[in-house]
Amino acid sequence: MKNTQLLTSLRYALFGALAVTTSQVNAESIAITNATVYTVAKQGILSQATVMVDDGIITAVYSKNEVPASLNADSIIDAKGRILTPGFIASGNLLGLVEVGAVSATRDSSDKKADLTFDASLAFNPKSTLIAYARKGGITSNLVTPYGGEKVFTGQSFVVNLSGDFDSVIAPNNAVMVSLGSSSKGSRATKLQTLSNNLEDAQKALAKAKKAKANKKGKDEKEAKTPSRSELVMNAILSGDKPLIAYADRATDILFLLKLKQKFNLNLILAGASDAVLVSDEIAKANVVVMMSAIDNLPGSFDSLHNSLVNVAKLTKAGVKVIISNSGESYNINQLRFDAGVAIANGLETTSALAAVTANVADSFNLNSGRIAVGKNADLVLWSSDPFEISTKVDAMWINGQAMSLKSRQDALRERYTTKSTMPRAYTK
Amino acid sequence: MLKNSLSRNLVTNNLISKKFAFTLLTTSMLSLGLTACLPNEKQDAKVVINKNPYPSTYQVLPAQSTLLTNATILTGTGERLNDADILLVNGKVVQVGNDLSAEQVTVIDMKGKWITPGIIDVHSHLGVYPSPGVESHSDGNEMTSPNTSEVWAEHSVWPQDPGFQAARAGGVTSLQILPGSANLFGGRGVTLRNVPSETMQGMKFTDAPYGLKMACGENPKRVYGSRKILPSTRMGNVAGYRSAWLAATEYKRAWDKYDSEYSAGKNPEAPTRDLSLDTLMGVLDGDILIHNHCYKAEEMAVMIDLGNEFNYRSGTFHHAIEGYKIADLLAANGNCAAMWPDWWGFKMEAFDMVEENVAIVDAVKNSCAVVHSDSGTTIQRLNQEAAKVMFRANENGFALKEEDAIKWITANAAKSLGINDEVGSLEAGKNADVVVWNMNPFSVYAQAEQVFIDGAKVYDRFDDKYQAKSDFLLGQQLNNQVNKIADEAVVNSVNQPATSLVTKE
Repeated sequence: MKNTQLLTSLRYALFGALAVTTSQVNAESIAITNATVYTVAKQGILSQATVMVDDGIITAVYSKNEVPASLNADSIIDAKGRILTPGFIASGNLLGLVEVGAVSATRDSSDKKADLTFDASLAFNPKSTLIAYARKGGITSNLVTPYGGEKVFTGQSFVVNLSGDFDSVIAPNNAVMVSLGSSSKGSRATKLQTLSNNLEDAQKALAKAKKAKANKKGKDEKEAKTPSRSELVMNAILSGDKPLIAYADRATDILFLLKLKQKFNLNLILAGASDAVLVSDEIAKANVVVMMSAIDNLPGSFDSLHNSLVNVAKLTKAGVKVIISNSGESYNINQLRFDAGVAIANGLETTSALAAVTANVADSFNLNSGRIAVGKNADLVLWSSDPFEISTKVDAMWINGQAMSLKSRQDALRERYTTKSTMPRAYTK
Repeated sequence: MLKNSLSRNLVTNNLISKKFAFTLLTTSMLSLGLTACLPNEKQDAKVVINKNPYPSTYQVLPAQSTLLTNATILTGTGERLNDADILLVNGKVVQVGNDLSAEQVTVIDMKGKWITPGIIDVHSHLGVYPSPGVESHSDGNEMTSPNTSEVWAEHSVWPQDPGFQAARAGGVTSLQILPGSANLFGGRGVTLRNVPSETMQGMKFTDAPYGLKMACGENPKRVYGSRKILPSTRMGNVAGYRSAWLAATEYKRAWDKYDSEYSAGKNPEAPTRDLSLDTLMGVLDGDILIHNHCYKAEEMAVMIDLGNEFNYRSGTFHHAIEGYKIADLLAANGNCAAMWPDWWGFKMEAFDMVEENVAIVDAVKNSCAVVHSDSGTTIQRLNQEAAKVMFRANENGFALKEEDAIKWITANAAKSLGINDEVGSLEAGKNADVVVWNMNPFSVYAQAEQVFIDGAKVYDRFDDKYQAKSDFLLGQQLNNQVNKIADEAVVNSVNQPATSLVTKE
């Protein structure tokens, strides 16, 4: 019976089965009942609500009074009042591109030759041991941001889900990244100029090509120059199809970027943005999203003298949409929820904190997740209690409606070394 | 191959064996050789190594006697007291218990608050790798030789590191500043009181033992292997330690011989001072505690044997990612292990992390499990670092409570640093290092509201008077335009007619 099978697999998910190894989409339907649902959508927070999932998509979100008398689902999960949120979306890390930081052969995040066409999603490893560990923090998808090379344009980001399946790259090459600000060599001005000039040149080239195309209409269209790969990417930035993620901390760099946004109509996302608080009104007015750490509060450089634990709250209050990103590489992205908790302890509203790790990311990168609403991907997390609290754990997780294992390599190691045996540990598996 | 240190050691041995001493205080050329062995000869001034040439000048900040009442108190001794009071008089904890009263003290109702001992971090690089992290501030790793036992982290400490203030706001009252882990012997660490001062000496924990930083594993072999000198392997690491301890053993023997001969009324030549060997000898004498960056089970086991081989205590293993694999061994040998809850993966030796590491090490009798930061960021939330261990462990069969977990960042840390007679717990007679938290400190929402060091308030979350600011950040956020909230004096000077300029002409 389907029902039993799913409940069994759910139990494995809850109590630690091995990682799911198939990439089949689970077509079964689920009803999660009696949940406190943080929709991060119009419905707000619903108590004793029911969420229906079919074929990996959320098909209904019933408030307490709307729940139908009988639920038509292959399996019914009683949340017993626990909190259900959209799966958290991490960002700004190298998950799946680096297995062991100091082992260069396991690093695929950068390349000397990388330019703005650098497509690191080809290197993404869905079988990385870091992924199962990240799921334990309620992360269901992630924006990967490789470093690229030494150029101003460092390559393109991509989005993955954390299913561990071979088809987990959801959106390859979804945004272009530029790295600005201070460096030990040369002047920051050169980087800003390069960015500005490249955008201007691309815009001119585009106009010229349009003109040429118009003139040659009806004649031999084959003679029209095919744009290069780089040009295609630049054109996507200029059309706003591809967001431009700009790493910059100092307020002057941020203001220059806001000017570029206005001039070229960019879909700009600020990353890092340590000193963004100095120009929060300008950022809010320009409707630019900021992707930043909630816990980096030390003046790490002369670009970040205004780093503070209250910055996320301050920017949010000023009307800026903030995405909370982990600082560092990708080993502990499961701590995203604690970082958000620290932001709450320092003045951020709980609902804003939740949006900062769900809907704000989804909106910025055009993902069909980050909210519990009809039509969205069923990326869901059932928490034992307050998602941001250290005492809380993930009780169940679904990615595209598929119940996920919450066991990682770390659990296997712990089990081995806490299980009594007269034989060497290596026999305990 | 440890070129510098080996050649230095050879020179030292020569000097000692040939009594070819250039010791400044024993300069009588006539006495050389002729009278060295005669008893009751005229003695030159005794050469004594000053073990404390950069002494602490720490002064307790202005303090008053205080009675904090009605709080949940975690004593650091494994106890939790509800609705309890703590009396702080003359910088000491006088009493902890229920319904205390005292005369001529300031009574502060702490209903709903939690009180813990001051947080202690055994592994920090604040001051030696300060913010901003510019090249000019990179003072934590003397990466010029695999053995730099002669360097002292205290000589690199920049007391204006804004990280000290941030750590204080997280309840950190004492911390050990260590050199980095590039070298087999990185140099001496220093334990500081987390009080603002213009000098390192003004922060120095009075009479705390020095630490000696050692490092296992990948870092030394990577740094020196790439220069084609020993160590380029883990076996090279161990050969490097052993060579150094051999030399230190000889050095100590020479000094012991000098001391005993001098005591016997002879006039022996003092051995030539060697800064590097001074430090290693300090370890052999039991004055200096080992703090050993060491991740892996098999390496920690070798380091324990190394200590036994040369008759010194192998001290605290720092990071100890694989401590859980040898928890019994660590406890049996009396080692502390200072660990992260979950920092991992950045290198092979950090790959086998388990979130319950601290709890597993802690579970063995006579263990000494410590949670450390090694980070200017997480040092601000060591309470949360301990919380992560406690909750993850409890999800997997442990039954740890707040009163257990607090020890990892207080009492056990104090033990690791050899300062547990003074700090680390709230008991009568201990220094009054106290943190008042707005709630259970093992919550993500917890904030340290007040911090006391030796009974003096050094931080108050709601009182700007008690929020110190580094020189570096002072004046970085000035307004250039005169406005309503600007300094009154500036406004007044603008409002004055510019007569002075006119009269000058």
